[in-house]
Amino acid sequence: MRRRGLLGGMVAAALVAAGGAAWRFHLFGPHYPPTPYDDLLNQIADREPARVFGGAALKTMPGTNAAGLAGMLRGQGTLAAAAASDPAKDRVTEVSGWVVPKSVARYAALAALV
Amino acid sequence: MSSFLDARALPKDTVLTPDLAIIGGGPAGISLALHLADSGLNILLLESGGMTFAPPTQSLYQGSETGVSYVPLESGRLRYLGGSTNHWGGWCRPLDEIDFESRDWVPHSGWPFARKEIEPYFARAQELVEAGPWVYDAADSAVSDSGPVIKLGEGGVYTSWFQFSKTRNGVLPTHFGERYQADLKRAAHVTTLLNANVTGIRVSHDAGQVDHLDVATLSGNRFTVKPRHAVLAAGAIECARILLASDDVMKSGVGNGNDLVGRFFADHPIPRNVATLVLFDGRCAPFYSNFLTLPNGAVMRAGLSPRAQFLKSHGVVGSLTTIENEVKLDPFATAAVETTAEALGIDASRGRAFSLGCGMELLPDPERRLTLSGERDALGMPRLNLAMTITDDDFARFRVTLAELGRQLLAAKTGMIHLSYSTRAEWLKAMDWGNHHLGTTRMHDDPKRGVVDADSKVHGVGNLYVAGSSVFPTYGSSNPTMNLVALTLRLGDHLKKVMA
Repeated sequence: MRRRGLLGGMVAAALVAAGGAAWRFHLFGPHYPPTPYDDLLNQIADREPARVFGGAALKTMPGTNAAGLAGMLRGQGTLAAAAASDPAKDRVTEVSGWVVPKSVARYAALAALV
Repeated sequence: MSSFLDARALPKDTVLTPDLAIIGGGPAGISLALHLADSGLNILLLESGGMTFAPPTQSLYQGSETGVSYVPLESGRLRYLGGSTNHWGGWCRPLDEIDFESRDWVPHSGWPFARKEIEPYFARAQELVEAGPWVYDAADSAVSDSGPVIKLGEGGVYTSWFQFSKTRNGVLPTHFGERYQADLKRAAHVTTLLNANVTGIRVSHDAGQVDHLDVATLSGNRFTVKPRHAVLAAGAIECARILLASDDVMKSGVGNGNDLVGRFFADHPIPRNVATLVLFDGRCAPFYSNFLTLPNGAVMRAGLSPRAQFLKSHGVVGSLTTIENEVKLDPFATAAVETTAEALGIDASRGRAFSLGCGMELLPDPERRLTLSGERDALGMPRLNLAMTITDDDFARFRVTLAELGRQLLAAKTGMIHLSYSTRAEWLKAMDWGNHHLGTTRMHDDPKRGVVDADSKVHGVGNLYVAGSSVFPTYGSSNPTMNLVALTLRLGDHLKKVMA
């Protein structure tokens, strides 16, 4: 009984560790081909909706290319920090009628470009 | 004399000589009659209709329209005792202080006085419209049991509160004719004359005084009223019509020496589904889209309004944004929400979306006007034409307020907003109107800029006054009825002094 309990505990611990690793390294999440902008795009867990939205965001940024956009985004801190601070700084924009933080529109546009 | 009489039964060529003739038995006329009932003045309240809706009388309102599509002139108001309170929605809210101010970004703005001038009359006006205890924006702390107000980041929009004229038998708000019929009958010095249509205000040769009123019935009776003073309280459309049609001495119409009568017509545009609101946690307190009755009896509903400081800093005008129905998001909208919520670190999996409605204030426009047309009604009165306008600027300014609401939702990580319309065609396709007729006899100290003075007296005519929302130069987003009643009570106090 004691041995069975020990084995059970080990299995449970292994499952927890595997689950943690899966979460940490997105083992079960979407996978995307490598890009030169993964330092930025990896901040977006699910790029599919971002690509959909980013397609519309791109229309508000004529002449934008991925390299230029990435350069701008690398200079402004993380997506989470920028998205949280943009509205208070009046840095919002309109994408197909949606009022969003400018950083969100730019990250989404980058996702749509790659 | 006292009680209710039927003008159709008066002997032909009767001449009535009250101290005060009130033309129109709507909320302004009835409030004024009741306010002066104990003044000792003999008051004659002239009402075009009877006690109920009658198509022949209602058809006297018919007119033509040009410009932007608007409600037919006979549809947005009612011509029997109680006037348009017979179909109002009961929304009440006092005008804001800024609504009275002269603003450099609002041409033709500025009342001759500040809000404090009518504040003493709000309590009684609130009683007359039966909107319960005065709560309004103090409601935030009173409604916590019913759910939280929407958390917004610092900025220009806040949760504002309307109160409601109480429902009767769960159906309708206060109908002034039905509600105050008994009070009018009890008033010893008030005579209510039904089916009495004023067809002309006849002034002295120098146009300085009202000499008499021509009155007619649809049955063919005609008679005369010679009052010491007269108050025109027939609504913003009909007041202009009666003044313009009274052109025997002043060829442009009584009070129209400066071509202002009928200009600056206004209403609250209420385009539908102006935006979609997404609340990330899906929680929307019911008082945003439905009535909430407080323990003290006040019936409330919350909306979203711009603060005075925001109006000033962004050059916009009054508006009210309301939360209407829950709606479903399409795939693109879902992508927008998921992308934004994830970036903000918010779980929006339980988010819900709602359509937004609104009421907008229009910028004053002298070309939005009523003029006499070539048509005549069954009494021989000239009908009206309304030249209706709404500018791209009107839409654009309201859109600025909506975008500010969106920014504040994001700042608080509460939700986000989608603006439905960006082109004039889109706005016009969604257009509806509040049927709040205003502005056609606007108030200003300068006769060249207003039809009536600060006492609501018609410039240049010693004994003629106008009561009602036709005197409002600007009007914010508050519904006019409670405010026009307050302003009428103030006029009543003025009349007590000048007629003593």
